[in-house]
Amino acid sequence: MALKALDIYKLLPKKNCKECGEPTCLTFAMKLAAGKADIEKCPYLDEEARRILGASTKPPIQLVKIGVGERSFAVGDEFVQFRHEKTFNHQPGILVAVSDLWPDDRIQDVVREVRDGVLVRIGTDLRLDGIAIRCESGSAEEFSRAVAAVEAKADLPEVLMAADPVVMEAGLSVCGAFRPLIYAATHENYQGMCALARKFGCPLTIRAESLESMAELSALAAKEGAPALLIDPSAATLSDYVKKATAIRQNAVSKTVPDLGYPIFFDTTVTGMQDAALALGVDKYASVLVCDRLSIPSRNALLTLRQNIYTDPQKPIQMNPGIYRVGEPVRDSPVFLSVNFSLTYFTLQGYLEASGVPCYMLVVDTEGYSVLTAVAGGKLNETLVAESIKKTGLESEVDHRTLIIPGYAAPLSGKIEDESGWKVLVGPRDAAGVAEFLEKEWKK
Amino acid sequence: MQDVEKSSFSGKAELLKMLDGIEGEFSYEGTAYHLPVTYAITGRAIHTGDEARSAYEDTGGNPLVAAECITSFEQAKHGKEEDPYTGFIVDSVLRKLGYSLVDGSILGLALLAGTPPRPDTAAAICRELQEKYILTFLAGDVISSLMESGVKVGAEYRLVPLGKKPLRGIHFIDIIARVAMMFGGVAPGDTDRLLRYAQERARAFVIVFSGLDEPEIEVYDTFSLLGIPILSVDGYDGREWVQVEAGDAVGKGLDLKGIKVTVTAIPIPMACSPAFEGKSIRKEEMFVEFGGGRSPAFELLRSRPAEEVTDGKVTVIGPEIEDIREGSAVPLAIIVDVYGKTMKKDYEPVLERRIHNFVNYGEGTWHVAQRDLVWVRISKEAVAHGVRIEHLGELIAAKFRIDFPDLLDAIQVTLITDEKKVLEAKGEAGLIYEERDERIRGMKDTDVDTFYSCTLCQTFAPNHVCIITPERPALCGAITWLDGKIAYEISPSGANQPVLKGDMIDEVRGEFEGVNRFVKKASHGEVDRCSLYSILEYPMTCCGCFECIAVMVPEVNGFLIVNREFTGETPSGMTFSTLAGTIGGGAQTPGFAGISKGYILSDRFLQAEGGIERLVWMPSLLKEELHDRLVQKLKEGGIESLFDKIADEEKAVALEDLIEYLARVDHPALGMPPLI
Amino acid sequence: MPMKVDIISEWTGEIGEVTIGATKKEGGSRCAAIVIGGGSGFPFLGGSAPGRKPLIAFEFCDDPKLWSPIVTELEGDVVNDAGDWAARVEELHRPDLLRFYLTSTRRRGFQDFSQLRRTVEEVLERSTLPLIVEGSIDPAIDSETFLCCGEAGEGERLLLGTAEEGRYRSVAAAAMAYGHSVIAQSPIDVNLAKQLNILLRETGVPHDRIVIDPYTGALGYGFEYSYSAMERIRFAALKGDEDLAMPMISSAIDSLNIKEVREADPGQRGEMAVKWELYTAVSSVIAGASVVCVRHPETIVPLRSAIDSLWGKTGGGD
Repeated sequence: MALKALDIYKLLPKKNCKECGEPTCLTFAMKLAAGKADIEKCPYLDEEARRILGASTKPPIQLVKIGVGERSFAVGDEFVQFRHEKTFNHQPGILVAVSDLWPDDRIQDVVREVRDGVLVRIGTDLRLDGIAIRCESGSAEEFSRAVAAVEAKADLPEVLMAADPVVMEAGLSVCGAFRPLIYAATHENYQGMCALARKFGCPLTIRAESLESMAELSALAAKEGAPALLIDPSAATLSDYVKKATAIRQNAVSKTVPDLGYPIFFDTTVTGMQDAALALGVDKYASVLVCDRLSIPSRNALLTLRQNIYTDPQKPIQMNPGIYRVGEPVRDSPVFLSVNFSLTYFTLQGYLEASGVPCYMLVVDTEGYSVLTAVAGGKLNETLVAESIKKTGLESEVDHRTLIIPGYAAPLSGKIEDESGWKVLVGPRDAAGVAEFLEKEWKK
Repeated sequence: MQDVEKSSFSGKAELLKMLDGIEGEFSYEGTAYHLPVTYAITGRAIHTGDEARSAYEDTGGNPLVAAECITSFEQAKHGKEEDPYTGFIVDSVLRKLGYSLVDGSILGLALLAGTPPRPDTAAAICRELQEKYILTFLAGDVISSLMESGVKVGAEYRLVPLGKKPLRGIHFIDIIARVAMMFGGVAPGDTDRLLRYAQERARAFVIVFSGLDEPEIEVYDTFSLLGIPILSVDGYDGREWVQVEAGDAVGKGLDLKGIKVTVTAIPIPMACSPAFEGKSIRKEEMFVEFGGGRSPAFELLRSRPAEEVTDGKVTVIGPEIEDIREGSAVPLAIIVDVYGKTMKKDYEPVLERRIHNFVNYGEGTWHVAQRDLVWVRISKEAVAHGVRIEHLGELIAAKFRIDFPDLLDAIQVTLITDEKKVLEAKGEAGLIYEERDERIRGMKDTDVDTFYSCTLCQTFAPNHVCIITPERPALCGAITWLDGKIAYEISPSGANQPVLKGDMIDEVRGEFEGVNRFVKKASHGEVDRCSLYSILEYPMTCCGCFECIAVMVPEVNGFLIVNREFTGETPSGMTFSTLAGTIGGGAQTPGFAGISKGYILSDRFLQAEGGIERLVWMPSLLKEELHDRLVQKLKEGGIESLFDKIADEEKAVALEDLIEYLARVDHPALGMPPLI
Repeated sequence: MPMKVDIISEWTGEIGEVTIGATKKEGGSRCAAIVIGGGSGFPFLGGSAPGRKPLIAFEFCDDPKLWSPIVTELEGDVVNDAGDWAARVEELHRPDLLRFYLTSTRRRGFQDFSQLRRTVEEVLERSTLPLIVEGSIDPAIDSETFLCCGEAGEGERLLLGTAEEGRYRSVAAAAMAYGHSVIAQSPIDVNLAKQLNILLRETGVPHDRIVIDPYTGALGYGFEYSYSAMERIRFAALKGDEDLAMPMISSAIDSLNIKEVREADPGQRGEMAVKWELYTAVSSVIAGASVVCVRHPETIVPLRSAIDSLWGKTGGGD
């Protein structure tokens, strides 16, 4: 059971010294309770309090950073089993596999694709994260050549996949300073792999068949001083993966088996159903996903699903405020007012497109609230609308001065007219009615 | 006048004689329910006279069984009656009828039987039934009488002629029996469930004219067992038969069975929709205005006894629109009298507030404020289209009927524009407002045994449960206990549910066994305990739309309050939005609580922690907003000086400033026991 | 010391079952009567069997002008005759269920109910799979449309869609009068879903004839809300809320209309459509949906493989 802020506060020194960077001990306690602060930041904690708080405020799943630089990413630090309980914090990294049997140019084609490929959605650049370099040659030289080929083209996070610590070391000697993920330590080779992880300061993946032996191995690896761990439940089928991943997550977040409190590694290439495996990996707790080269459609669907699942369910996705075009609007096309709650925006946009009438959407910043909530909470008001019309230069886009507002914003119609000088038409409450509205009201 | 009791007695004997006369095999075609009434009551399939007689005996001489067996036998023997008579209605047609009943395209069923005094009496009743979406069955001379006066009968006109004799009205009952078995899941032979279904679900009534013979009276009299009222237009007296004038028969029938006809179109020369709510009417667009300081005006909604409210009646007392000069200000009283079986006096103010919305829904009418502060305008354009003052009344009456069909049975609106009469009535209204305020102000949590919940926010705060009490409004400030109560009356499966307080667990913290039970269930098992008057122990969960947040400030033994509008940092080191982000989402966070502004003024505020004297800081704008009411409250508690001791962002920005300020003004919280 | 890692399971509730389709023996003409729902856990959470295998429904319609050209171009002329289309779907695409949209009712001023009845009858004649029928979406013609659907399908134990709050009476009436079941759709909200189920129950539709549709937004267009709504509905049901203990149906109907798919490079558009549907449907089954619907025929094979892999070829898991 996680401690509440008040319980934590009771254990703090209550000096309000600000040395932790927070203005008061209470603020620090709130952050600790939310898992957003490090207990070590408090210099005046006594041993007993440190012991209690250390165990209780530590995230049930370790935070692990992979790679360095701009494209590096962090995984783990998760608290819940279902995203609606709070949120999923760190989306999985997706790494595309290359083989050390391949010539450099084939490897580098993949690297370029991962380096440059981007899907822009809702103002965000979505990308794949890195490269998994698989040793299939068994040769340390070939492996280090392949790693070097990747390194030559991009500073992407990497997973080095080799069973032999000697081969692994050859790879690490090329890129070990860039915090690649080592894959994988097993009951057989863990001492060697742990030594490498320690030496290069890299995160290490451990792999075992059963959850019991996994917990055992993670304890051993921790004892060997591996700085950060991921766990691979070595699932061969989709159901095997989902079952094990679910059990790991459940035992980790409930702190029933703390030795399972590490991010999950899932190599989807072994399932023979890569798309389904990737989707399930995103939905069900994978933190690092390894896959073969993806077609653009697979990649786009995957990146979009990941963006969806890792959205904070308590915070709506927001659109950037501004003018959006539907079709190719002209100077007398209708203008619809909408809010920057993405669901509202997309719903309206969909129906406007379906209507076949080119038009403008004036999206105003209601802090991501829907129309109903924004009107009720005063976020959507006449000043905001008038200012947005000015700021976006809407008046130079169209010749008319008529704004169609959402039905639920009807109480504001008069005020908007007064404040903006535009004529206001009240549209339907439900976006599904816009086509009919345009036909009946706009054309006349 | 025929005496029902006497006739039915001698009718019984005659019925038995008729039953004795039936022989051979008979049955209905096109049904899987045999003789449906008998089948529903006994669970037995009847095909012969002997079976019929034994069923009659086993049901203790049920006249419905007798009538059905006789009818079925006669139909088998003489064949189906000639057109237009339908006789027995087959299952496939009935299924469609059941569909229309569930679907709502038919609101109820009526049976008209006997011989009407004059043809136009029956015609008028039928027209009214058609207008009210009632499917009407006919039995007896009423059919030929209607046809003679030119009324078209047939299923397509919703007038179904069953047969020449009133006895054929038994088909009306076999229809209800089959609907119960087809749609109500009533098993054949389960008489209890059949009766319950008919009484509760069958929206059916019977209107009889004279001309029923004695066995028929005996049969019809039995209908009342199924909860079907018999309305006698003329000719009968006694038992439960209700005497009515022909013109009132339909209305009475609808009323007795609680059938409500919803109107969607409001017959006034002005569009009416929420879309017009925000349209203002500027001075230059206005034809006439009322109130707003320019003339005396008020509005009042009162709950009245049934006999004092004529549904739909709108009266204008004083000048109408044509008597008014353009651009003038005229006095106005809007008095809405309502009657409803479940309407309570407590709902009056909540309903009254709807007048504001309704008047604004009119395309050419505009309304602000409430009570005796109202300000109403009618536009020139509307007047040019023929809108008169009476239409305001029509609009209000119609909207109340549409929005509160289950709560209100009758609405009557009186509009007074005569200055003297407005002033007179206004004085009385003032007393009522005062009395209401007194009642609501005085309403305590201890006065009620039921609180209301709100789970609207579970969309984004999955386990949040708001408990709304008379002294603690919802934390968004939008829903009071009364609002919750009415919302539940109107929509019993909605987001506001009654919460029985149950046994008291802790008086000071406001913890109740019933509340805990409810919260546990409604939070999907996540929250076990909820104390209504404490912020430190098991406080209520927080959604995200609270008006204010109360935050413990342990350094000064107090609490600060920050409202949503305040964007700066509080002395706790956190802004409203940081705090909201941490405590929201449906979690219990001891030491912190999302609250409404109204709750600050409640005696229950911080009850467990020592009351309002713990309040050490709030933003100046909030302080200003609450000034009058807060000072008043403090005065009542004899701690008026507290108001100035409560710091704000001008007096204290950081915690250190706050500590210093409170010490300087000698804030009472400093002397109270430590919070932790 | 070897330790045992358990899966924690604390559910008490069970998901109800709904039967779709009636065989000849039962008074219909379908090749099978399919039971959906059931089970007492999340798929793969709770240690026990994963419950019944989810089914794939293929969606088609009677007015292809209102359908995605990605599908109509692929299917060819057959889309102009609902009966032909139904037969082709069954023979070539082989879904578990058919979901037939009466899109013709969405034309302005639609009144041709006798044609509508013939269309439904024809689809029933030309197909044998259990059938879901989607009627009108306009309250003005709901009553007649659903009466047609209900009557034309009498005895076939159809699943009829779609009931919404404020627009459920006609669907409910058709289900009650002619022995069908109802899809109850609410806008991505567990409490609204519950409320609608209560309204349906009060109207007289028994629980074992309701399928919940929590509304599925397309991937990138609100799917995450639907995903969590499904998990929460299932969660509430397992915790014992009987008003939510019905199987769920999920159909991301906008998948083929969204920008990412519609404006994809023409050479990739088909694949884009398939992947968009596949990622959505796989995620929906893992969130608890009992029926997932697709519109692109090529989504069916990979989706079936995934479901087979998760639930086993024969399904049921137990």
